[in-house]
Amino acid sequence: MSERPIRLCVNGRMHELRLAANATLLLVLRELGYTDVKNGCEKGDCGACAVLLDGVLVNSCLVLAQQADGRSVVTARGLGTIDDPHPIQTAFADAGAVQCGYCTPGMVLATKALLDARPDPTDGEIREALSGNLCRCTGYGQIIEAVRLAAERLRAGDGKEAP
Amino acid sequence: MTLPAFDLLVPRTLSEALEVLHESPEAVPLAGGTNLLVDLRGRRRTAGCLLDIGRLEELRGVSVDAGWIVVGAGTTIAEFTRRGVIVEHGAPLSAAARVFAAPPVRNRATIGGNLVDASPAADCAPPLLALDAHVELRSIRGKRLLPIDQFFVGVRRTARKPDEILTAVRWPIPAGRSAYRKVGRRKADAVSVASVAVRAALDESGVCRTVRIALGAVAPIPVRAREAEGALVGHRLSPDAIAAAAGFASETAQPIDDIRGSAAYRRRVVGVIVRRLLEEVSREEDR
Amino acid sequence: MTIEPKPLPEYHLPPLRQVGRPLRRIDALGKAVGATVYAADVSMTDMLHAKVFRSPVPSARIVRLDVSKARALPGVTCVLTGHDVPEAKLATDMPGQTGREQRTGSDAPVLAADIVRFCGEPIALIAAETLEIAERALERIELDLDPLPGVFDPHAALAPNAPRVYGEDNVVARWTIRKGDLAFGMSRADLVVERTYRVPFVEHAYLEPEAGTAWVDDQGVVNIRVATQVVEHFRTVARALGLPENRVRVRGTMVGGGFGSKEDVTVEIFLALLARATHRPVKLVYTREESFLATAKRHPFTITHRTGVTADGRITAARIEMLADAGAYPYLTPYVLLYATGMAAGPYRVDHLHVDSVAAATNQPFTSAFRGFGGPQAAFAYESQMDEIAKALGIDPLTVRRINYLRTGDTTGTGQEIRSAAWLEETATRAIAALGGRTPDGPRQRIGRGFASYFQSYGRITWFHDTSRAWVGVEQDGSVVIRCGVPDIGAGQSNSLCQIAAEVLGVPLDRTTIYTTDSAVTPLAGTSTATRQLYMSGNAVLQAAQVVRQSLLMEAAAAWGVEPGRIDLFDGFAVVSGEPTRRIPLAELARRCAATGRALSHLAQFNAPFTDGIDPETGQGDIWPDFTFGAQAVELAVDPETGEIDLLKSAACHDVGRAINPVAVRGQVVGGSHQGLGYALMEEYAVAHGVARTPTLAEYLIPTSCDYPDTAAIVLESGTGIGPFGAKGIGEPALTPAAPAVANAVADALGVRIHDLPITPEKVLAALDRRRTETGAER
Repeated sequence: MSERPIRLCVNGRMHELRLAANATLLLVLRELGYTDVKNGCEKGDCGACAVLLDGVLVNSCLVLAQQADGRSVVTARGLGTIDDPHPIQTAFADAGAVQCGYCTPGMVLATKALLDARPDPTDGEIREALSGNLCRCTGYGQIIEAVRLAAERLRAGDGKEAP
Repeated sequence: MTLPAFDLLVPRTLSEALEVLHESPEAVPLAGGTNLLVDLRGRRRTAGCLLDIGRLEELRGVSVDAGWIVVGAGTTIAEFTRRGVIVEHGAPLSAAARVFAAPPVRNRATIGGNLVDASPAADCAPPLLALDAHVELRSIRGKRLLPIDQFFVGVRRTARKPDEILTAVRWPIPAGRSAYRKVGRRKADAVSVASVAVRAALDESGVCRTVRIALGAVAPIPVRAREAEGALVGHRLSPDAIAAAAGFASETAQPIDDIRGSAAYRRRVVGVIVRRLLEEVSREEDR
Repeated sequence: MTIEPKPLPEYHLPPLRQVGRPLRRIDALGKAVGATVYAADVSMTDMLHAKVFRSPVPSARIVRLDVSKARALPGVTCVLTGHDVPEAKLATDMPGQTGREQRTGSDAPVLAADIVRFCGEPIALIAAETLEIAERALERIELDLDPLPGVFDPHAALAPNAPRVYGEDNVVARWTIRKGDLAFGMSRADLVVERTYRVPFVEHAYLEPEAGTAWVDDQGVVNIRVATQVVEHFRTVARALGLPENRVRVRGTMVGGGFGSKEDVTVEIFLALLARATHRPVKLVYTREESFLATAKRHPFTITHRTGVTADGRITAARIEMLADAGAYPYLTPYVLLYATGMAAGPYRVDHLHVDSVAAATNQPFTSAFRGFGGPQAAFAYESQMDEIAKALGIDPLTVRRINYLRTGDTTGTGQEIRSAAWLEETATRAIAALGGRTPDGPRQRIGRGFASYFQSYGRITWFHDTSRAWVGVEQDGSVVIRCGVPDIGAGQSNSLCQIAAEVLGVPLDRTTIYTTDSAVTPLAGTSTATRQLYMSGNAVLQAAQVVRQSLLMEAAAAWGVEPGRIDLFDGFAVVSGEPTRRIPLAELARRCAATGRALSHLAQFNAPFTDGIDPETGQGDIWPDFTFGAQAVELAVDPETGEIDLLKSAACHDVGRAINPVAVRGQVVGGSHQGLGYALMEEYAVAHGVARTPTLAEYLIPTSCDYPDTAAIVLESGTGIGPFGAKGIGEPALTPAAPAVANAVADALGVRIHDLPITPEKVLAALDRRRTETGAER
């Protein structure tokens, strides 16, 4: 089995790893300690494992870690912390968009990807952008409001540069 | 569940990839991985060696070449929703891309992968059939073009030889208007129960010159409803003609019962969708 | 016809400062920044990885089980079979803290050694150095099975010579209601309406698959970190392992969705067995496929209603029969059946009522708790039936219900008196009115509108003698600590307790901290199930905080020489009412109490009303502490050619008694409604001869963000609940009315009713075809 050295930048931090080919990005991220990336199904059905790979929303369960060699990954923790949360994260917390929280890291990243491309999305665009992130608790209503709230706040300039 | 062990080869160029594939035709090309990795994890297929072609520049790119739209096989489904050339000249494909799986999957899945995977429900297939597309297959022996309706030979089986890579799809800038619709068990992220792509070009007097009706998820392979098409060419798209064509299309379907729908339902609903899409393109043409 | 909302009675809710405010939940930001630890995120040094070997078939005898090759695989530390742990039995019922004896016959083997009764039944456990090795070890286990005839339908299971899955006759439970005189009641009817309704297996599909990590500590105590709704399973684990109860410690994590399925023991006993066998920490994480296979489902029910009504719409009598599929092992079936039985007639006055319900064991997936616990199944039937009655009589659906709605002071089918507000008409009219004007039909859309009223209990069955405990204390700097065993499963269970303590002690929410879910150090608060935590633990916190408050007030009163009743706690200060300059910070007051030896903390126990069981023959007696009442209304468009249903509008109105946190309440209403809409339209855990045909989230579909519009949440507060500040409960009630509202709307759109769930496009077309044949014309 081919083990190959790769370099992976996660939330601005460089990792040098030797990995077997069959290691998925999801598995590797979690083993590195990025447990905010959640395993919900491991086959691309639920979006709980979503990360930004070079800024693009992907299911980390469907990316081999070796395919991410030389690339940059952002997880929810890379957007913000308890002491310094990203406006998207505070919007989620404020709007009641967080119940059990298991879908939340993926939702937050899907929101980031959406707002980067469309800073003023319609409800339809929001729903479509989140359609790969399943939530079983909220019924999506307050999540969509959180995205709108985050969009407003970012447009008003409470912005924060992503790593 | 961890993936089974395999070697991963990462060629730097397309010709290197073709060399490798010729040496080891059992190596399985990997691009977006959105089907392949799921199948490997589920032990529905085995592969001792994967060939990562996902970053080859030669497989990217969208261009217009002498009246043909040429799209690299490594183009992601997400790009189909955004690229001006495809939105303008490949409308049914762009429409299918917008309802293909879900956004994070679209960001990785490629047109080449969707076609080579050759699921009977492959969302890209009916639009490409409607566009009279060709697939470009390359090996160390050279390049060949195959009309898309000769590419699918059975459930999950294509005419690709083991040492070939599907490198591009191409279709002539289409005449007429097209439409696409997919029926699924929910509004997003759903495997098609039935999908239809239709294209019709009418002359100045409203007579149908060219028509394509392509059906997905209702037969072992994506198919053209040729009897329906034949019944329309040379005629106006009147309500009766459209209804008759829809009936022929229903009969062309050879669906199965599965967890998403019964054969009877698929046959019935595909007729309804064909009829509605023909009405839609005929209305546009009459403008 | 426009619906006027029924005016609400005069009521006065005292103004509150923290309770009732839409404050950001204490757990929300941690989850949004990815800091919150879930069970699968827990790792220990020297940890082993576990896998469970499961039966691939639903009904068989184990002829040969050979794990030697698995044991021999390098990196495999331990393999356990039923023969290694023959005493290990899982008590599948009575989760939680009550002193009641477990029902006999509700044990299941922890590891099947002889007979397997469902597909996925656990047979062996593996612990290995890596997950990959554990997975490979699974493949090296050799299992020879002798297929046994199975039974895959509860009707068939009750036939005299059916294969035996449980006991002598496959009957897991029966309940009976005999109220009044059925024959007399029926004789008073002008019309009798009889219909049968069916609902399928449904899967909880929370985003977090089951997971846990266990180890044996330096004192020999088995520690288990696990995603659970029941910390008290330390008792179940202890019993299974033959350990004293004080040698097992369950430390729950924030749960990524439970909905009743993490109420059963899932990974705990497996982990405890492996941790003790290997003397190392062991981690077990279910795959999604395994989560589907290994855990409970919602009970399928077949429910027949036979209702006698007068020409003007009054119900004179009802006979209801219910048959549920218990699956392969009892779990909580007897109680789910009881809920369905007790709620079978709906929130209506029925003086002459017979209900017979039975749950039969089959070789299908086992069934247990799922949000509503028999209530949603009963409601689908009774609310469909009410609309059928309305249609048969030519009376509009709301009028028929108005005539029959229960009111405060009436008794239910089991003779239980309704003591709190029963705002049935108030909620129904508001939900319907919220739909606004009716969307017109179009060429491809037939519009339908429907609504459903419901009642759903909150608090556990009263003969369980439910209790909860909480500890509240004030620190020397005036910050507040709460310790309570409550498992937080995402509905804001722990946040509500903080808001209550903050209210009573006069501090902002962010001055409170809560420590939860540790069976060793946090006072046991009982299960996060049955919509009971706010009621039970909320009252426990309220009581504890009030005692601490009183202690502080006494100290301040002594210091100032005023009556304690004149002192208020507000915004972190103690202040004499009306004299804002006479105030001291809570911190200083707390230090004074510490110096004078006055208590700064209190452990309170709250007891629910304790009753005896209902009469076994008549089913009469009190079952629950109280009920929540409400309604949901929907408008949808049916495409008559494809059968597809587009939900256009949805509105729900519930009397929650008192909303502790309105944002959280709304989240429950919208979220619960969504699960109910999924139940109505797309969810079915399809099983054929005991084998699932929907093994992953690609086949078992739950709603995405694109499927349904928001349910408008109209929250009423009667203040008449028995929870803190007059609160009732909303967690389960939020789901109950959604599916029948949809069924009624579809019937309105089509002119014909579909009597089973889910209402799929195929069923719609079949119903339209039937109608066309019957009426010979399009509507």
